[in-house]
Amino acid sequence: MSVMLKVRNIETYYGPIMAIKGVSFDILEGAVVTILGANGAGKTTILKTLSSIMDPEKGTIEFMGQRIEGLPPEKIVAMGISQVPEGREVFHDLTVKENLLMGAYLRNDRAGIKRDIDMVYDYFPILKDRTAQLAGDMSGGQQQMVVIGRALMARPKLLMLDEPSLGLSPLLVKEIYQIIERINQEHNTTILLVEQNAPMALSIASHGFVLELGRIVMDDTCQALMANEDVQEFYLGIKEDSVRGAKRWKRKKKWR
Amino acid sequence: MTPSQINIQNETVPTLFWRRVHDWADNTALRAKVYGIWRKITWREYGQKARYAGLGLISLGLEKGDRVTIISENNPEWLFSDMGAMCAGGISVGIYPTDSPQQVEYVLNHCQAKFYIAEDEEQLDKVLEVRERTPHLKKIIVMDMEGLRHFEDDMFLSFDDLLELGRKMDEENPLLFEQRLREPQPEDTAILIYTSGTTGPPKGAMITHSNILNTMDMQNEVNPGDETDEVLSFLPLCHIAQRTVSVFAPLLTGGRINFVEEMDTIPQNMQEVSPTIFFAVPRIWEKFYSSLILTMKESTRFEKLAFKWATGIGQKLSDIRLHGQEPPAYLKVLFKFADWTVLRNLKKVIGLNRARYCMSGAAPISPDLLKFYHGLGLDIREVYGQTENCGPTTVHYSGQVKFGTVGQPLPRAQVKIAEDGEILLKGPHVFKGYFNDPEKTAETVIDGWLYTGDVGRIDEDGHLIITDRKKDIIITAGGKNITPSEIENQLKFSPYITDAVVIGDGRKYLTALIMVDDENVMKFAQENKVPFTTYASLTKAQEVVDLIQNEVEEVNKQFARVETIKKFRLIDIQLTTDDDEITPTGKLKRNFVNEKFKDVIESMY
Repeated sequence: MSVMLKVRNIETYYGPIMAIKGVSFDILEGAVVTILGANGAGKTTILKTLSSIMDPEKGTIEFMGQRIEGLPPEKIVAMGISQVPEGREVFHDLTVKENLLMGAYLRNDRAGIKRDIDMVYDYFPILKDRTAQLAGDMSGGQQQMVVIGRALMARPKLLMLDEPSLGLSPLLVKEIYQIIERINQEHNTTILLVEQNAPMALSIASHGFVLELGRIVMDDTCQALMANEDVQEFYLGIKEDSVRGAKRWKRKKKWR
Repeated sequence: MTPSQINIQNETVPTLFWRRVHDWADNTALRAKVYGIWRKITWREYGQKARYAGLGLISLGLEKGDRVTIISENNPEWLFSDMGAMCAGGISVGIYPTDSPQQVEYVLNHCQAKFYIAEDEEQLDKVLEVRERTPHLKKIIVMDMEGLRHFEDDMFLSFDDLLELGRKMDEENPLLFEQRLREPQPEDTAILIYTSGTTGPPKGAMITHSNILNTMDMQNEVNPGDETDEVLSFLPLCHIAQRTVSVFAPLLTGGRINFVEEMDTIPQNMQEVSPTIFFAVPRIWEKFYSSLILTMKESTRFEKLAFKWATGIGQKLSDIRLHGQEPPAYLKVLFKFADWTVLRNLKKVIGLNRARYCMSGAAPISPDLLKFYHGLGLDIREVYGQTENCGPTTVHYSGQVKFGTVGQPLPRAQVKIAEDGEILLKGPHVFKGYFNDPEKTAETVIDGWLYTGDVGRIDEDGHLIITDRKKDIIITAGGKNITPSEIENQLKFSPYITDAVVIGDGRKYLTALIMVDDENVMKFAQENKVPFTTYASLTKAQEVVDLIQNEVEEVNKQFARVETIKKFRLIDIQLTTDDDEITPTGKLKRNFVNEKFKDVIESMY
């Protein structure tokens, strides 16, 4: 597998606050990679920087051999990077189908678009049943499906998902994740997954990064991450019980 | 009442403390932050809390000489417990809050502690894990009850419950407290200090009331403090240096103790409090230096020039002063101007703009670092001593700072050099011995002389110069004697190096294991576009290795050829105070490092 995305030393600011303090990583073509981190660690900021919604103050981003930092976001989408934003941001007043077509806004191959809509309906049969319904009237899980479907309509080579499991029932989370896995396998779409639901993310990804306060503190295969003491205690919620049978305090993170 | 009116020899820590509570009742003794706001504690409140804590312990069965352990970060309750235990006739023992349950078990059993006063849940869990094997332990007292409201156990009570028990006992018998606090004699042990033995298990040094008060008196004679002093408490109270600074020195001076919120907030708290007397270990001085240097690196050209100009004047002035001469008037005026325009602001950044004098101790510091601070106009003095002599033995007297030395003996302290170069001490500050360890005591104190284990000499001005720890001296395969700490201190002077261990005993050449300063090296990597992900990958980046190589070569230039570092490796894990390889004050422990990184060391030979 060749390197698809090469991120080097990016620093991104919100005004005077440095949210990403020098992050470098590679993503291989066809891989499923996850970034874990607590609230405010900078996960979303990384995605926004990659899709050029935010510009990095420093550092470079290379996508399939081409520098992309600072390009307008629509160029980035056209090059094959799509982001599924956090919080199921559908167009409330458009129907399901219209929402999906918005994802193909930059395309004009009618036949291809038609095929891809069918593909989305194949992944999410419920959307086909509700094709004329306003997206704003749908349930949270269905909205999540619309947003993922909309991103797929741009035929991304790299699909970036921001907390797809947020606020969904465990059953729906499982379903969404199965589909993410299918998208990766059937279309060789590279997946970058940002999650707080670490057990889910680690179960489908092959490689993972742990982000803390704008810096990567761990970089390893998901198998190794799952075996790591710190990941277990702080992200997987596994901890030894104390003698009292209840333990709230956390030991220091070491990340090694 | 001024210190001179008190005859120290007739007092103990409790009696002097109680005098102060009366004399200074409405003065502020301590300050700590509560919900983000500094709250003051007067001597009266300090006295009352200590009184109730002490009486509470008595009502729980404390008898004279019983050991009371305290395991907590620095906070007012630490001091209430410490003073309370001593006033009740107990012996107070601090345990490092970073200790593991096994280390806690060792201390509890070694001193046969009856009481365990813990900060919170975390420290409570440690003792619960081991208490089946600590037969002497009677009661566990917890300060912070968060998460423990529903926890019930026969041995367990909260600190508030303890105070309440004390209050009740006080009501029943109002004379008891003052009776009890007069019982200990000056020669009785007041506290046990467990030394973080790098070889073998920790030993409990018995420090008497007389040791403590004499040491404070000797120190105060040379570097006096007064009731206007503001002191910041942040190094562990179980360590003799911080204990004397935060607990014992104010009994003489009346200075105010300010507790930092946590380690991460030291810089902010420094700025808020702006201490007038500041004691820190070299690691903290190195950290301040690095942050100032890096701030200057990012400044404009004009600012850089101004900085160079101002520190130049400062250094010139301090040079003349330290040679015992009076600087010319023009230079003094110039310095005033430099201070007003540049230096004052820099000192403000690190919160030392009000510092009357500063101290560095507990580990060797690079003379260049001291010079730098004197250039800023900060009067920083080195102090040397050890747990076994209750902290300081030699110190730079006011106006007599001599770089490269650790100053002159305190009044009434004798220092002499044994035939093999070992430094020996005698005086009222030398401890009583190791608790329950007559053998070790007999090895350490011979005919009243304390064998320090340090090697050094006394120069023509009567200043003591430390060469190294006796057992740390390296003898290379070529038979050359080398003192590693000298080289290590020069390495640590680099803003990119936090600590280093030089290796070479019985080897052909010297090598070093280096711990990099993560903040500064990450900054370097960012500025030079060096990609890295984790700490480990940072230490493996070629550019970073080259950077440190340069720093090592700079240091090598200052030494003879046999003393140069031929190879080095960077420690690729981020060590924290939870690790055995590092002391609670942040020094690398030579023996542990040598053991843990054995393979890395071998790879250099």
